[in-house]
Amino acid sequence: MSSIYFVALPLLFGFAVPLLTKLGKNGVAYTSTLMQAGLFILASTLLISTSWHVEIIAINPPLGISFVLNEASLFFVTLFTLLMMSFSFYYMGLRKTDPYENENKFFILINMLLASSIGLVLSSDIFNIYVFFEIAGISAYILSAYKKTPKALEAGIKYLLTGMIASVFLVFAIALIYIHLGSLNLAVLSEHFVTLPHDTKFLIGLLLFLGFGFKVEIFPLNFWVTDVYEGSSAPVDALFSAIVVKAYLFVFFHILYLFLPNSEYAAFLIYLGAISMLVAEIIALKQSDLKRVFAYSSLGQIGFIFSVMAAGSSEAVTAAFYIVLAHSLAKMMIFLSIASIEREHKSSQISTLTTLNSPFLKVIMVIAMLSLLGIPPPLGFTGKFLALKSFTVSGEFIVLAMIIVASLIESIYYFKITGALFAKGERREKLSLTFSQKGVFGILALALVVIGIAPWLISGFVHDASQVMLDSAAYLQTILGASK
Amino acid sequence: MMSSLLDWFIQPDVITAIVAFGSMGLFFVGLFGLLTQRHLIKIFISISLMEAAVFLYFLGTIFHRELTAPILGDGHTAFTGMNDPIPHAMILTAIVIGMALFALGVSFAIEYYKLTGRTDINKMKEMGE
Repeated sequence: MSSIYFVALPLLFGFAVPLLTKLGKNGVAYTSTLMQAGLFILASTLLISTSWHVEIIAINPPLGISFVLNEASLFFVTLFTLLMMSFSFYYMGLRKTDPYENENKFFILINMLLASSIGLVLSSDIFNIYVFFEIAGISAYILSAYKKTPKALEAGIKYLLTGMIASVFLVFAIALIYIHLGSLNLAVLSEHFVTLPHDTKFLIGLLLFLGFGFKVEIFPLNFWVTDVYEGSSAPVDALFSAIVVKAYLFVFFHILYLFLPNSEYAAFLIYLGAISMLVAEIIALKQSDLKRVFAYSSLGQIGFIFSVMAAGSSEAVTAAFYIVLAHSLAKMMIFLSIASIEREHKSSQISTLTTLNSPFLKVIMVIAMLSLLGIPPPLGFTGKFLALKSFTVSGEFIVLAMIIVASLIESIYYFKITGALFAKGERREKLSLTFSQKGVFGILALALVVIGIAPWLISGFVHDASQVMLDSAAYLQTILGASK
Repeated sequence: MMSSLLDWFIQPDVITAIVAFGSMGLFFVGLFGLLTQRHLIKIFISISLMEAAVFLYFLGTIFHRELTAPILGDGHTAFTGMNDPIPHAMILTAIVIGMALFALGVSFAIEYYKLTGRTDINKMKEMGE
């Protein structure tokens, strides 16, 4: 069994697209969906028979590149393949109504995005992480500007500019790491990073923070995010919010836990996350465009995840994994609903919701918003509850207060949206969804509610994943032990 | 006189200092351009300058004059006394990626100009309040 399939198959698919067009009009779309479904099944079978697996490419570590498939990375791989599969099923329905979406290069881009997001999570080599960072970046920039309208191009240019600046800082950090430590392997670096002089550590840490900070959308490096979300089409936003950011978040904290365990910067990062959440939720109040509102809501939730992850205790990281799962599923549902609404109404203003005629989509959006708010029964409650509990236990009462205030503000605009959804008045004719689209929404919503009511269904996986993510000694042992 | 100046010049410390200050100078030229220029393509060029500065700094710092190229042949039969080839491989990759990003950026800027006639980043206000 090999973890390299998760990266190689989507990439290979991208190269094979010119051949697959011979299969007929929908050949590429069907094969892409089929492949993603296959990867999801592979990931979930691995999840059940879970064990550490190090895939060595050509040369043994520390010199060669290796992929590490452990509980933590497998959790993210399963999540990404599930979300990408649901996205493809949804998108097949979308293609029928819009000839512009009927292009095969879209499937090259989303599969590159999938391959690089999984690569980011699996890779144990910092330069390899940089390469996947750029592949994910390039496919995301093109997806962002995909429609080639002035708005989309502006979003693409802004995304690209920030991405280029981030990559300069990241290369600088990697160069300094190599100059001082002479290795690129995360395990080797983790062993020797603490021996560096304090100033060097600080400089490398700062450069890594700047490099990844733009991508993990943390305050104050997130000024570009909402413009990008507004300019891109709604399905693409679903990918950004549910998959790409999560991959970068995983890498950021993976590197943080390995390089600076129990660091003195943890308090700073916790507050940064909380401030990020508070600021985003306050600005979200004033927005009138749905995509913009949920972009700010994404920023808020990511600030929350950032803050909880930075706390670094085992309870906090478990909570963070629950929030990641809940947020990814909910944001996928929300942005795909917005995509359907935007297709039908040609607008994504909140006011268009008052004329929406689709009881199904309304229920879906309400479930997703309840989950984002942390109101039971959906899964969001479990994550938020555990996170607040862990902050209470560690005595971080200021952060606790900030998160609660931010959640209250969040509830105001969610109620505004819910109010618009159920407002009395003229309705348009019924919004049509294909069977596969309804299926995707139904399964995502069901997952949110069922796991929310019965979190013990996945608590074993989540617990193992979070413990493994924190256990850097085992990580070192697996990678360096594999070469002996 | 001339030869002693050259000897002074090729001392490892002096070369390291020149590389460090030169590349950091280039980095700040790029940063200055990034912060002051408003034309999209000039901004992309500025970022490329910053990138080039990082590449130069890395290669200049990691390269040792007394060591040879990591190639067997010409009397070299063992991998000793050779420069580390990994930084060169890394920087080659990074240059290719940087070039791809630059090309993508310029093509976006051209498309945007064709649609709106604007090249000024301050006037890119299709969105927001």
